[in-house]
Order: sequence, then structure tokens, then C-alpha cells
Amino acid sequence: MSVQLAQRERHWVGRSAVHWRRFRLLLIGGCLVGLVVLSAIFADVISPYSPYDIDVAIKLQPPNRAHWLGTDEFGRDVLSRVIHAARISVKVAAVAVSVGLIGGGVIGIAAGYFGGPVDMVLMRFMELLFSFPAILLAIVLMAVLGTSILNAMTAIGIIFIPGFSRLARAATQDVLRQQYIEAAHTIGMSDVRILTREILPNIITPLFVEAMAAFAYAVLLESSLSFLGLGAQPPEPSWGNMLNTGRGFMDQAPWLGVVPGMAMLIGVLGFNLLGDGLRDVFDPRLREAA
Amino acid sequence: MSAEARGHRRQDRPPVLGIAGLTIEFATRRGAARVVDDVTLDVWPQEIVGLIGESGSGKTMTALAVLGLLPRTARITTGDIRLSGASLLGLPEAQLRTIRGRQIAMIPQNPMSALNPVLRVGAQVGEPYVLHRGADWKTALTQAVRRLADVHLPLPDERASEYPHQFSGGMQQRAMTAMAIALDPPLLVADEPTTALDVTIQAQILRLLREIRDEHHTSMLFITHDLAVVAEMCDWVYVMYAGRILEQGSVERIFARPGHPYTQALLRATPTGEAAQAELISIPGSIPSPVDLPRGCRFVDRCPYRFKHCDEEPPLLTVEADHTARCWLVETHG
Repeated sequence: MSVQLAQRERHWVGRSAVHWRRFRLLLIGGCLVGLVVLSAIFADVISPYSPYDIDVAIKLQPPNRAHWLGTDEFGRDVLSRVIHAARISVKVAAVAVSVGLIGGGVIGIAAGYFGGPVDMVLMRFMELLFSFPAILLAIVLMAVLGTSILNAMTAIGIIFIPGFSRLARAATQDVLRQQYIEAAHTIGMSDVRILTREILPNIITPLFVEAMAAFAYAVLLESSLSFLGLGAQPPEPSWGNMLNTGRGFMDQAPWLGVVPGMAMLIGVLGFNLLGDGLRDVFDPRLREAA
Repeated sequence: MSAEARGHRRQDRPPVLGIAGLTIEFATRRGAARVVDDVTLDVWPQEIVGLIGESGSGKTMTALAVLGLLPRTARITTGDIRLSGASLLGLPEAQLRTIRGRQIAMIPQNPMSALNPVLRVGAQVGEPYVLHRGADWKTALTQAVRRLADVHLPLPDERASEYPHQFSGGMQQRAMTAMAIALDPPLLVADEPTTALDVTIQAQILRLLREIRDEHHTSMLFITHDLAVVAEMCDWVYVMYAGRILEQGSVERIFARPGHPYTQALLRATPTGEAAQAELISIPGSIPSPVDLPRGCRFVDRCPYRFKHCDEEPPLLTVEADHTARCWLVETHG
């Protein structure tokens, strides 16, 4: 009796530990993402100064009571700029991931469900896109489309399409083999209905987790493009172009590079942790296994 | 019940399901594989008709053909499938979809994998109402709960909002049954509905299916490899072997006096639970490949009574009233 009880106790403890580990990921990720997203939404309210106000008299000041994260080479408040930059990062990432998720999702599901020549043509095209290094493809697309933040969103979105399409295709094929698809046919469901009602809910979780990881990657890509001068254009602040500026002042004013770098770290880490945490919470099968 | 059901066979109205001379072939590298060969089978109103056979005998292919869900590589070369007198062959896919679920429904072999793991059970059982009746989800869910109560699922209200993995195997099969009878289809096709379940649960599900036949006036094509289940469930039996019907008749007659050596062997191979039966008996040999069928009788390679006549395939010969078998020896039996 006592042995049984002890075993149950240990089991319970083990279970809650697993829960806590999962929950902790979600919690930390959620906090970091919350910080970034809230900064983006309420940038105008919470930033102490305008990100554009130039005051050469106070340029390159180290962090102090008036300017918590110092000032840049034009005397602009770094804290205000890094907060406003979050807005661009989140906006670009959100649009780019949506483009990738919807485009790649539709292509992948169609390829997986219909198979045959449809699959062949779509997937060869995806492989063509996949064969270019991401940043190179982005630069080529930006060169074709022109330099603007809207084009940066499109370019990053297109980069995401092959990855999402492969994932969606593999997940669709996996679900298609299941008997409940056959059962759906036996009650007279049409292809479209099977796709939306039976397949989509089963593949949405991996796609969603991938979207969170892509979110992190999109933040990085946008920063890279801005760093190269292809994304957000000055004076508009972006973590990438702030980092580029900071590079030139690394010995005189290290906070100019460290601050946007830290912001990127928080954003990328946050979205990654949130993606992992959400996967554990959303998947009813994983939930049961715990 | 069965005597009454047999009476239906004499009526003028058409059977609920009438399969006539159905032949299904697969194109393979080694030539055409004839998996179903000239199968004729009737399911009359309120009858439970057993289609019994080993794996690979073509019984599942027959069921899929009834639903119009054969794999793309399969082809129906001859024959006809009629539902209440109207032919199903050659109907466009859109029309077949309106028949599936409404006129014919299927109870699957493995309920666990036949339920979508990410959708609540109530939503899945309610699906036919939305699909075929255009009901809104609220109505569909109410109907689903009612159907779950019909199949004696305890606490149907609460269970409807649970996920399939929270159900036991028996409960899952009840849910699948509820989905199948949702729109009161006149014909149910049950493909080994109890094979994946525990023996005690099997009995419960069989009782449920009989009750559905009695209360919803449903006819059933019951596919199984288990003679004991046939004895308990069916009114009429077709014994299928290597794509062929070898024997058919009412359950009592076939069990009392099996006409075909294959049926006799099957009956001997079924454990009876009697003390006299010291060990399990099996039929030596295995079912022939559909691309390399023996000339003459399909069972010739495994038959203990084969003689020179067996090179030529016999027709279905009358054993007695309501009972025919495809064996030359039947005649000598009288």
C-alpha cells in the first residue's frame, strides 16, 4: 500500500516536473515576446522621447538618468529608437510569416493531397527557391522589387514559402494515410471538406510551431537586410540599421551596438521559446503523453 | 428473427443491396489480379448478411466497391451493384458522395484510427448532419448527443465534448456506430467491426448492432473472418475464398450441414470451447495469389477430398433449400 502510494507520488511529482518544464518555456517565451510586442504596439506611449528628435549638443552620451540607454551620434534617445524599431521588426515579421505560412501552406497541402504531377511541379519549383541561400535570395528579390520596407516583407515571405510548403506537404501525406480520412470518405465528405475539416486541424500545430520559429528568423532577416541598407531606411529606426550605425562607434559608444543587439536577442529567443512551448500545449496527443 | 428475415427474400421488392456478377481486377506487373470474381450477393431488408473469408479473400474489396471507394488502380470489369434497385456503378463522384453517409454508412475495423484525434467526438458524430442536412453546428451537436445516447454511451452530453483518445476502444466503436447511423441509412457495411476489440467488448458491440437492426430497421453487410460472430449475428452467410463465393445459405443450414470442404474446414478450425477439442485445428496451405489462381476449383490445393473432377470449377449446386455450395461433392451428398 505504502509502496503503491509512494510510486503514485513519485509519478505525480515527475509529471508536474514535466509540466513545469514545458510551462516554463511558454512563460519565459511569452514574457519576452510580450515585451517586444507591447513595445511595438505602445511605442508612442512608452518611449520617453521622439525617436527622430536630433540634438547634437547631447550626442553620444553614455546611459544616464535622462537617457537610460544613452544617445546616438545625432543625440537621439537610444531607448526610444530601440522601442520604435520593435514596431518595424514585429510588423515585417508578422507580414512575412503570414505570406510564407499561407503561400507555403496552400502549395504544400495541394501537393500532398493531390500528389502526382501537381506534387511534382510544385515541389520542383519549391526546391528551386530553396536552393538559394536565404539572404542572397532576399537581396536578389530586393534588387528586383526595389528597396522599401514593404518589399522587405514580401522578400522575406517568399523565402519562407518553400519551408512551409515542405512541412505542410509532409504533414498532409502523413494524415492522408490515416483511417479517419477513409472514414470521412465513407460518410460522403468532398475533397475540399476533407482538406479543411480533417486535414487542416491535424497539420496546423506543426505549421504553427514552424511559424513561431520563422517569426524569430524573420526578425533576424529583417535586421540583416536593414543592416545592409536594404530594409528600413534612415531616419526610421530598425534594429538592423541601428546595429550597423553602432558598428562604427563600437570603441567610443558601445551601447549603440549592444542595445539593438540585445533587443534582437530578446525577440529571437522569445519567439523560439514561445513556439516550442505552444507546441506542447496545443497538441492534444502530447498533452495526454505527459 | 432469422426465419422472418428469410421471408423477406421471397418478396417482390428489390433487395436493399444487390450485387450481381461483380468482378474487380487490379492491373499488376504480373498481369491482372482478379481479387473479386463473379460475386453475386443480396442483402434483403432488415437482414444481417455475413460475408466471411480469410484475409485476401476479397471481402473488403467487395465492401469498398459498394461504397464506390475502390483504390484508383482497381477496376470493376463486369457486374452491377444496386442499392434498392438503382445501379451505383457509373454514377458521378458528386452523386456517390450524397449516397455515402445518407444511404450507406460504414462501421470501420479499427475505431481508434478511424476517429480524427484533434476533433471532439461530438463534432465528428454530428458531421453527417452538417454535411448532408445542412444543419448548423448547434443542431448537429444536439443530434450527435442523441445518437451517442442511442448507442448507449454513458454520459453522452459530457462525452461528446471529449477527444477520441479519452475513449476506450469499445466507446470509440460506439461513437463510430453513432456516426454511421446518424442519418438512418438503410444499409450499414460493417468491416470486421469487432476484430480490434477485447472479447468482452466484442459481445457488447455485436448486441448493439443487432439492436440497431431491430430498432432502426437497418440492413447490414457484415464482413468478418470469425465464424462464431457469424453464428451469433447473421441471418444469411456468404463464404468467400480467393475472390469467389464458395457457399451461401441461411446460417442455421450452413452451420448444421456445411456443403463445401472449405466451410467444413473453417467450422472445424473454430474453437468451440468443448473439452474434447484438445488443440486448435488449422487449414493446411494458404490462399492462392489472385494473379495465379488454380484452374478449376479455387480450393483445390488445400482440399482433402479433391478428385479428378476438381480441375473444372463447379457452379453453385443446391445442397438443400436456402443453401448452395460450389463443390462437385454436393451432388453425391444428394
